[in-house]
Amino acid sequence: MSGGRFIRKMQGLFGISPAGDKSKEKAIKELIEKLKERKKLLRKELETTTDIRQRESLKDSIKIIKKQIDKGKDIL
Amino acid sequence: MKRLILIITIVGLSYVFMQSNNILNISAGVAIFLFGMLSLEEGFRSFAGGILEGVLKKFTNKQYKSILFGAITTSIMQSSSLVSIISISFISAGLISLAQGIGIIFGANIGTTTGAWLIAGFGLKVDIAKYAMPMLVFGTIFMFQSSKKAKGLGYILAGLGFLFLGIAYMKEGFDAFKASIDLTQFSVDGIKGVLLFTFIGILATVVMQSSHATLVLIITALAANQITYENALALAIGSNVGTTITAVIGSLTAGLEGKKLATAHVLFNVVTGIIAILFINQFIKVVELTAGVLHVAQDDYTLKLAIFHTYFNVLGVALMYPFISTLVTQLNKIFKKKASVGAEESDDVRFINDIALDFPDTAHKVLIKETRHLYYNAFDIISRGLSVYKEDITSGMEVDDIIALRNEPLHVDLEELYEKRIKDIYGKIINFAILAQGKFGEDVIRDIVPIKNANISIVEAIKATKHMQKNMIKYLGSNNEYIKEQYNHIRKNLIKHLRSMQVIFNSSEEDVAILLLSKLKFDAKKYDIAANKALDNLIRNNQVPYSMATSLMNDTTYAFNIASQLTEVASTLFVHQDKNLREEREALILNNADIAKMSNSATKEVAI
Repeated sequence: MSGGRFIRKMQGLFGISPAGDKSKEKAIKELIEKLKERKKLLRKELETTTDIRQRESLKDSIKIIKKQIDKGKDIL
Repeated sequence: MKRLILIITIVGLSYVFMQSNNILNISAGVAIFLFGMLSLEEGFRSFAGGILEGVLKKFTNKQYKSILFGAITTSIMQSSSLVSIISISFISAGLISLAQGIGIIFGANIGTTTGAWLIAGFGLKVDIAKYAMPMLVFGTIFMFQSSKKAKGLGYILAGLGFLFLGIAYMKEGFDAFKASIDLTQFSVDGIKGVLLFTFIGILATVVMQSSHATLVLIITALAANQITYENALALAIGSNVGTTITAVIGSLTAGLEGKKLATAHVLFNVVTGIIAILFINQFIKVVELTAGVLHVAQDDYTLKLAIFHTYFNVLGVALMYPFISTLVTQLNKIFKKKASVGAEESDDVRFINDIALDFPDTAHKVLIKETRHLYYNAFDIISRGLSVYKEDITSGMEVDDIIALRNEPLHVDLEELYEKRIKDIYGKIINFAILAQGKFGEDVIRDIVPIKNANISIVEAIKATKHMQKNMIKYLGSNNEYIKEQYNHIRKNLIKHLRSMQVIFNSSEEDVAILLLSKLKFDAKKYDIAANKALDNLIRNNQVPYSMATSLMNDTTYAFNIASQLTEVASTLFVHQDKNLREEREALILNNADIAKMSNSATKEVAI
């Protein structure tokens, strides 16, 4: 095990996270990516759905995801 | 009866103490030693709780690592009982598996052998009382500090000081005995002696609840030639078996998994004890050979005892190690989980245990799990309040089909269900959360308070269901199709809500949960019957009388309360499930202000 890796392991073990902000940023970026993927899927679903209520629900979901992505980007 | 035994013991001991100052010294040594053990355990609990959890998470993923963890922690803390109790707590909280727990227990048995080495190799060879005094002084100074860590360190130092002092008193007592009485005249040879002294060892350890104290007593007596070597070996075997009593007592308040672990502990120590008794002569021969290799003096029986103690524990682990998975299978067969607590049966907490209060992460996990448990009971009760069953909601059936299937009102006493399946668990969770809040630092409290509030929300949701149920039953059986339709509308919305909650709890996809949580908040407007003009139309068209209309208005408010309280529960449990992702998740879930903005812009769009 390299010195750096050992130190990181120990830091993790004792709950000291020097790169807290960086890992937070990374986690939000990952979440935004997942939400973008989800938005694509919902759009595809919207194209094929004919049921009116279902379509409304999908539109709401897409709107919510957009807002969530914007929120995430604002944080970053 | 207990009181009588206590009085007899005190009177008996008082008489013995008056007769013999040496017995008084030895007993005082045992008492000081036990007090030291308590202090040491207290210190380790508050000083190393968080670290221990961290190590446990990272180093028990493989069987051999679990054993190593048990061996090292026991060697450091010098208490296999504490390690067993901690393992039972962790296993009850679902932090580790039964196999990992068994590994830790096996390791603890190896770790406990270091105690015999320390006492025989160090404790009896130097004037240990000299080291005790500064430790007691520094320990007490630290104990008076306001910092919890400093206090914990103080307890550890004072504990060690008392342990040393206790050993010194026992040593002094047995040394003084030499001049007046030879206790070896009570020794018993052969298998009879082995069995008798094993039993005495078990008894002594059960009474003192510390194999360490028994071992010190044995080693100091052996060093003073007050017991024979063979009888000392049997006593050591007995102490190993007797030590399981602490785990058994600890498991009484633990969950099923904790009971399995305690059984494994008893089984392991008893089997190891039987092997040691059966092959005691062979063990003695191997010990002699080893002592020769290690240059242990021919008459140093205390070190030989330490070698023996190590051998039979290590052999026990070596023999039982291949059977861990078999042991787990058998224990799972013996301790079968009740299929599920019947919907009408009383229920109790499953994860909460007192020991978890010593470990911040464990306390947090236990709270999350128990809150989920409470939610599942509430889910069942709320479903019935809506005149459906939880199985309907968890099935893949269309919501309209569920309503068609359950078109008759379900007469269920929600108050009785609350008493049986919520009240106790809720009370215990709140009590646990309050105790945890008092014990841990700000960072932990920041996580605990929202979980506590989630429990309050669960109970609020049940109360709202109870209020709504009366009219729900009345109008689902009504001849007025309009009011029936409105109540079915409430049912549909809440069924969908509960379904989404299930998806949030069971989904492994984070984005799905984040989206659904925001959507649940967004959809809450569905309940606003006054805003969507449905109520106005019903009254204007004379479809429902005003008495029904007001009931409906009140009940839509209750439905809104149920939905929003449950959304809070789902949100809290999802956000706080993983401490490391809490802030990120919280940031992306839309809050009420975001929802209001979105709703306003949607209304404007419609108006344009």
